Amino acid sequence: MSTLIRASALAKLPVVTFAGEDIAQLKDIVYAANGGQIGAFTLAGRGIFAGPLKTSLPWAAVVGLGPDAVIIESEEVLQPTSDVIGSAGDGATGGGDILKSEVLTDTGTSLGRVVDVIIGIGGGGRDQADVVGYEIEPAESLGRGKQHLLIPLPDTLAASGEHLMVPASASDYLTDDLSAFGTAVDAFRSQLAGGR
Amino acid sequence: MLFSQAQGRRVVSTADADTVGLIDGYVIDPTRQQVVALNLKKTAGSGDVLPWPDLLAFGDDAVTVERSTVVVEADERIAELSGKHHTILRKQVLTTSGQQIGKVQDVDFDPADGRILTLILDNQVQVAGTNLLGVGSYAVVVRS
Repeated sequence: MSTLIRASALAKLPVVTFAGEDIAQLKDIVYAANGGQIGAFTLAGRGIFAGPLKTSLPWAAVVGLGPDAVIIESEEVLQPTSDVIGSAGDGATGGGDILKSEVLTDTGTSLGRVVDVIIGIGGGGRDQADVVGYEIEPAESLGRGKQHLLIPLPDTLAASGEHLMVPASASDYLTDDLSAFGTAVDAFRSQLAGGR
Repeated sequence: MLFSQAQGRRVVSTADADTVGLIDGYVIDPTRQQVVALNLKKTAGSGDVLPWPDLLAFGDDAVTVERSTVVVEADERIAELSGKHHTILRKQVLTTSGQQIGKVQDVDFDPADGRILTLILDNQVQVAGTNLLGVGSYAVVVRS
């Protein structure tokens, strides 16, 4: 299984070129493919007073994404933000914000609200960054207390910016432990694949 | 040979056997993984840079050069590489997978041709010089 990272941990990560310069930091994530993958990152300048940049970083140009930095080859891989959002948008998230969306199962049960996105980074670097799950604030009806839970996602899902639809069986794989979450995602996805 | 071992070593001219300076620092070109010049201190003139091609030998006790005039003022290329932003020592090291693996403590180089052989980090991790990609104001970047 790939490395799992919380999307909130990515914000403010420095963007470093091969030449060792920190040219920007991550500001926000643009999701592609119905919220199932990372499409690009919007950027902000380094330093307290630097505002957002007019350029963005397409995922394809990321050489490596780790706990301490995002590595890119050079400044030339950055693209104008409008271009990046245009191509990734493609009706994907309906322009909505994934955070705070309500997670609904296909049987109509609310599982809670999204507070963070869990991303799996493939070992090879340039692999796609897959959204493997959400961290949710559980709905009271779930009876699991207030502690945030992690919910695995299928490879594809429907998201409207208001609701996120997940198969009912996803609720069987809820966990509160990020280190064990990778196994839960794998188990959930192989169960979905087997069921078809 | 380590940067720290050669620090302060005499540079002697073979023409008149005078000491022309002492090694004070190293200018490296990260894209070629090479030491391209030495910074000297206690030089006679205003120049304090000794370009690597002008070395006769990098010996255990002294570095020899043909004459004292090979010590020059930094040209544009060397001035750019020797700026504070490009010093490699004590700078954090990032791999291309985005992980910080330590800080550069010392550098092992080949005294025969100036090739950078190994970066030695403060946590005893060693990185082969061929993996060096760049040295910038933020970090040293190495291939993972």
